[in-house]
Amino acid sequence: MNDSLQPPTSGQAGCAILGHAFVESSLSGVAALREGPPPASATHLPARFLRHSDEHTVVAVHAVLAVMASVKQAVAFDRCGVVAAPCQAGRIMTARSLSMLRTGGAVMVSPHIVPQCSLHSLAGAVSVALGMHGPHLGVGGGPDALAEGLFSAMSLFQPGAASGCDAAWLIVTEWASEPELDASGAAIGDPVCRAVAMLLAPAAVDAPLVLSLHLPPAMVATVNEDGMGGDLVAFTQALDICGSGAALASWTVTCPWGAQIRVSKPEPAALAVSRRRPAGRVPMPYREAA
Amino acid sequence: MSVSLRIDREPVVITGVGAVSPMGSAFDEIADNLLAGRSGVRSVDPGEYAREPVQFAAPVTTIPAPDADTCGLSPESFYALDRLEQLCLAPVAAALQDSGLSRAAGPRIGLVLGLGAEHLKTWELDFLDGGTQVFGDRRDRTLVHRLSRRLGLGGPAVTVAAACASSGYAMSMGRTWIDSGWVDACLVGGCDILSPTAIAAFYNLRALSRRNDDPAKASRPFDGDRDGFVMAEGGAFFMLERQSAARSRGARIRGELAGVGMSSDGAHMVIPSTDPVQAARAISAALVDAGVGPDQVDYVNAHAAGTPVGDVAEAGAIRMALGAAADGIPVSSTKSMSGHMISGAAAFEAVACLVAIDRQAVPPTVNLDRPDVQCRLDHVPHVFRPRRVRVAASNSFGFGGSNLCLVIRAAA
Repeated sequence: MNDSLQPPTSGQAGCAILGHAFVESSLSGVAALREGPPPASATHLPARFLRHSDEHTVVAVHAVLAVMASVKQAVAFDRCGVVAAPCQAGRIMTARSLSMLRTGGAVMVSPHIVPQCSLHSLAGAVSVALGMHGPHLGVGGGPDALAEGLFSAMSLFQPGAASGCDAAWLIVTEWASEPELDASGAAIGDPVCRAVAMLLAPAAVDAPLVLSLHLPPAMVATVNEDGMGGDLVAFTQALDICGSGAALASWTVTCPWGAQIRVSKPEPAALAVSRRRPAGRVPMPYREAA
Repeated sequence: MSVSLRIDREPVVITGVGAVSPMGSAFDEIADNLLAGRSGVRSVDPGEYAREPVQFAAPVTTIPAPDADTCGLSPESFYALDRLEQLCLAPVAAALQDSGLSRAAGPRIGLVLGLGAEHLKTWELDFLDGGTQVFGDRRDRTLVHRLSRRLGLGGPAVTVAAACASSGYAMSMGRTWIDSGWVDACLVGGCDILSPTAIAAFYNLRALSRRNDDPAKASRPFDGDRDGFVMAEGGAFFMLERQSAARSRGARIRGELAGVGMSSDGAHMVIPSTDPVQAARAISAALVDAGVGPDQVDYVNAHAAGTPVGDVAEAGAIRMALGAAADGIPVSSTKSMSGHMISGAAAFEAVACLVAIDRQAVPPTVNLDRPDVQCRLDHVPHVFRPRRVRVAASNSFGFGGSNLCLVIRAAA
């Protein structure tokens, strides 16, 4: 074999975070969010649109609506894309469907399981709910969803990318702890589902926050088999701190393949002087900026 | 937003192909079967699917074990993996091997896996095997990271999903990574697996054909008697790299991933929009991205799965995007033979486009006995059509309104 590929130049990328919001709800609270009327700000959301949706989707849509309510900048949603990175969404409906399959056969399987529990379902729901025509896709699906979501969303804004996006939603969801289910698929206890939604746009100096990608000279897979993290609370706090304006700050998410994605103010030479972790949490996949 | 035209960037080319499908695994085997109009649809094991209302599909009958030097697994170890991992690892490893790139030679190779319902399928297969994973509280790493590690790849590894367009989105993302200098080369594609729950759910959505009495005739895209699609499994992967890098190492270039266009209907979680505007926008964007006009397209591989609504909507989108040129561009749906591989469909149909370019012939739409008058196109019914093919477009329109078009061009 003749491998004569040259070492690449380190690709740099960036995009702006125009707004973000964090929403969490217990499973019992999700039922109310699902059945309740859409908030007044959700002018495109039909009544009971979420009645068949997975828990991650319900919480995520409310996070998107919270961002929409807070962002002052006008955004044209026609060409807006969606990247959704749920961590193991669809477990409860899948467990119920499998139980029904075993006891009642194929006719008992919910037709909603495919459109509502696939990796792209959350992105599709947001795209439909807001009537957007940019691309929508699900990414990740596992405990590295945050890193994979950030990396994938940034690619939408790269020069020459086919996405044609003027803006894009990035939504990351997870259970605080994966729910344990009984044999019928009902959750034991009242697990908490949470979502972070971010509205992204091409990089701009007046943006509240920016994402920037930093590639090491040689990427090395650094997968930690025990690194089941995805702590969205810590990440959201980092967004809040970095965007507060109180200090120049940055926060770095390290991808399993070694690339680093940094959240900071748009100043190119921002110093990472403010760092904070929530007490008692160990956000394994994230490394604070040096 | 600043506009950066694709034609200003170096071509990204395909230097490796791997597939596992109902139509075969080797490129020439797939080409022969597609051009011969052979169907991969058959009755499925009634033992496994005895309680299914639909007892036919397009299964993969043989998964070839990858070369041990490529994936680090003996054939015995490979066949001990779960079936989903086998279905993905075999074509990824084949694409890597076909490209001639060595996993140990240093280039940063990324991996983008189009797979729409990994956890759902993993939980289901475990459950049907007596397991309880779906009820437990584990968080498991995704398959793409296991594949990357087995192949010794050092670059980014991400799973993407856009329903039936998943593997096409994977191809688009990999091309962007190469354009951006994030990787030197990238394995891209997707795969899917048949499962009782998926068949039952699509049946209950009334999306599947119900021709249990004649499986080989069940997949009938654009035909007036179509009654739904036929589920299939399998998919394909490609090695993408810059044209200059491929040429400098003397790699065989199978074609160029010249254009990508994408859009969303933003209309419904399942049913494709009857308004063709957004699907047409994806096709037009792909042509612009490739720098070609409608009259330069030599073949369209349609998404056309054989659903009553979807095929009509796609025919309208093709006509809207290609205009008068549509009258002279042959259109076929290889799903008439392969069935619908869902996550793997877009990548497999990109293989069909490479077949058309390689063999200078357009694969047929079999079972197209009575074309639907609402699907008026230049169809290629029953038998292949010899034709000079340099530019092929492939549509993928996923449920939930995820639209994608790829343009594949012959190597310069």
